[in-house]
Amino acid sequence: MTSTQKTDRREFLKKGLSLGLVAGGAVILGRTDFLQAKETAATIPDLVAVKNGEPDAMFKKAMSLMGGMGQFVKKGQTVVVKPNIGFPRKPEVGATTNPLLIKTIIESCYQAGAKKVYVFDNVVMPTSGNSQNCYKISGIEDAAKAAGGIIIPVDDFSYKQVIIPGAKTLKTAEIHRLILDSNVFINVPVLKHHSSTHLSIAMKNMMGIVKNRMEYHLSGLDQCIADFCLYKKPSLNIVDAYRVLMSHGPAGPRDGTAPNVELKKTLLMSRDIVAVDAAATRIFGKNPEDIEYIKIAHQQKTGNMNLKELKIVTYSM
Amino acid sequence: MNLVKIRIIISLLVFTLFLFLFWGGEKLSVFLSSTLLPFQFVPALIRILTKPAALFVFGFVLIIIVSLIFGRVYCSFLCPLGSLQDIIIALSGKIGWRRKHSFQKPHNWLRYCVLGLTIVTAAMGSMSFLNLLDPYSLAGRMITQFVQPLFVWIYNTAVSLMKNFNIYLFSKETAYLPTYVWLVTLGFFILILIMSVRYGRLYCNTLCPVGTLLGLISRVSLLKFGIDQIRCYECVRCEGVCKAGCIDPQTAIIDQSRCVNCFNCLAACPQSVISYSPSLNKTGQSDWSAARRGFLIGSVAAAGSALFMFNSNIRNLLGTAHASQSPPITPPGSVSLAHLTQSCSACHLCVSACPTKVITPSFLEYGIGGLLQPLMNYSKSFCDYECTVCGRVCPTGAILPLSLEEKKFTQIGTVDLLKEKCVVYVDKNNCGACGEVCPTHTISFIDKGNVLYPETDIQYCIGCGACEKACPTTPKSIVVRPNLVHKKAARYIAKTFPVQQKKAPQKDFPF
Repeated sequence: MTSTQKTDRREFLKKGLSLGLVAGGAVILGRTDFLQAKETAATIPDLVAVKNGEPDAMFKKAMSLMGGMGQFVKKGQTVVVKPNIGFPRKPEVGATTNPLLIKTIIESCYQAGAKKVYVFDNVVMPTSGNSQNCYKISGIEDAAKAAGGIIIPVDDFSYKQVIIPGAKTLKTAEIHRLILDSNVFINVPVLKHHSSTHLSIAMKNMMGIVKNRMEYHLSGLDQCIADFCLYKKPSLNIVDAYRVLMSHGPAGPRDGTAPNVELKKTLLMSRDIVAVDAAATRIFGKNPEDIEYIKIAHQQKTGNMNLKELKIVTYSM
Repeated sequence: MNLVKIRIIISLLVFTLFLFLFWGGEKLSVFLSSTLLPFQFVPALIRILTKPAALFVFGFVLIIIVSLIFGRVYCSFLCPLGSLQDIIIALSGKIGWRRKHSFQKPHNWLRYCVLGLTIVTAAMGSMSFLNLLDPYSLAGRMITQFVQPLFVWIYNTAVSLMKNFNIYLFSKETAYLPTYVWLVTLGFFILILIMSVRYGRLYCNTLCPVGTLLGLISRVSLLKFGIDQIRCYECVRCEGVCKAGCIDPQTAIIDQSRCVNCFNCLAACPQSVISYSPSLNKTGQSDWSAARRGFLIGSVAAAGSALFMFNSNIRNLLGTAHASQSPPITPPGSVSLAHLTQSCSACHLCVSACPTKVITPSFLEYGIGGLLQPLMNYSKSFCDYECTVCGRVCPTGAILPLSLEEKKFTQIGTVDLLKEKCVVYVDKNNCGACGEVCPTHTISFIDKGNVLYPETDIQYCIGCGACEKACPTTPKSIVVRPNLVHKKAARYIAKTFPVQQKKAPQKDFPF
């Protein structure tokens, strides 16, 4: 097995390799508890990237490199897993988060001792008939239920208005109460093309917990996407870049046409929502500087888009 | 078991099925619509005139034959408005608002004029008179506007209570009902409430065109009610239970044209002097000269209308929608604005069944000739690309059933992008809300200076209104303009992309 790192070789030698070896060993031995017990915050990489595996295997690998789910989920906590289920599309289209990944994440949360794991997304077409369809067709409803996840339907009664400190345009937002009431929030976007923001990744996925999304569109999508991340940063961001929709995003092509999908078989994981978006942009083949909201979020100090300054652990399966 | 009990059981069963028809969800509504509604007089008749289907022809012929043999059993067994009135009458009797029914003189002028006017206006292209008075459609509107919101409210309350037990269900939505439409239905409900509490089935014998028409048929029906004058000692119990008020104990005559075949009198008569038996002679029938005149008016009106029935110019005379400045968009399957307005009975079943609740009852949008008929309300919702429910539940053929493939290319209107209002053009900020939801690739984006500007290609547009609903500006920057006659949209053919896999070397990460 190999683990590579670009920032600080000495730092890596001290911590990164030992972490990687321990993590890998722990996975092989199936003793993740041991790993979690040994881990300290200082050794957690800024970003983990894994490729050439299946979604579940890549997640397990990345999580072990990250220090185990125990870093994020403590015993008895409630967790919200937020995939992208915005459109009534099958998993093959790449418009929604991979259901197997969601299932594996939920299982991992329960293994770490989570009390309840909720799965939620506000769909783009907000009607009852359609959101049901989205949950079903994306395969996420069945996958989540199989792992014991609780699917939360969209409704208008569960939102609470919050003030976003330091926001330039989006000064208030109505957030789903579930996010506010839960201990841990895991953001699980899919990397895909987007017709109005170039790309949809982790920061864009945060729009799915907000009710007043039309305000974003009305007053400048990029600034609002960046502004919202000033209020709520997820505990962890896991980017699904297994099947990447390269054009016709965010919904994918409609009837009769094959989706322009590239099997990139990649998974990214980071606590830094800006860093993970920047890395995913590179995976897609674009420059993070060209994605307006990433640039704004970096300037607003939400995170770091300069990947060279980060401690990145990569692994190819 | 006597006839009264059989009637009560059957009518309550049919009435319950009607509630499920309007609230049972897609599958049940489609099933009940195809099995229950061929046996409703007005839907069956319109369906035969617009797009005949075997079961509807059978249902209509059956109603006529049954009426010719038994009289107006339709009114007491199948009619949902009749059952509703019976329920009101029974309840008002229970709580003591009303004691007994009594004989009423027939309102022949009124009922034959109403029937005549209904036929003439319908033949001339205005369905509004028929739609307002048709008992099935009226009952449908009452269920949609009063019962359905109640059911939805109860269901949603249950859903929100279940959350406390960690059971999460999708809540349901009520149809959007404009105030005027709601008031019209409320007005009719109050009218029927007062009429039925005070005078029993008075609506059926004055305003109901179906009741009047079936009354004409039952004048010559095979089985008739009669009183044996010799054995009758005038206890008038039959008069007290007659909801139609058609038994005159003084002359011992039962007005066959107004009798709704509830069979209450048979059960009430202690001496069994009331008979329900074949009678070919006309004795024992009411012999109102006014009735004859009325019958004559009705017949002349019907005959005159028949002449006009298939003359489209005259049919359009009262269909004032064409003159309207901004005609409404009609649901997919309704062929054209003219087709919808001239074959819809405004029962609002599509309004109830529409899963996205985009179908809204109109008030004056179609003009006076199309009062209460449904339209696509894009200020409230949009038409789901993957849905064909409205056409499958519509009993009259006003919204014809489409296959999903047909629906996806049925252009009910096209979009108009108003660049002078659009935020991307005005503020040079990314928005793209319209393009995200467009199901047909009508909207694409052009990148100029890292800003994505929307453009439209309306040959692919089907007018579903998803973009108009999604557009964040007020007023909307993208709006659907109606096709007065629906067209076929072009098929979008995208470049086909094979699924690619990058076989990258092991350490190849772009960072």
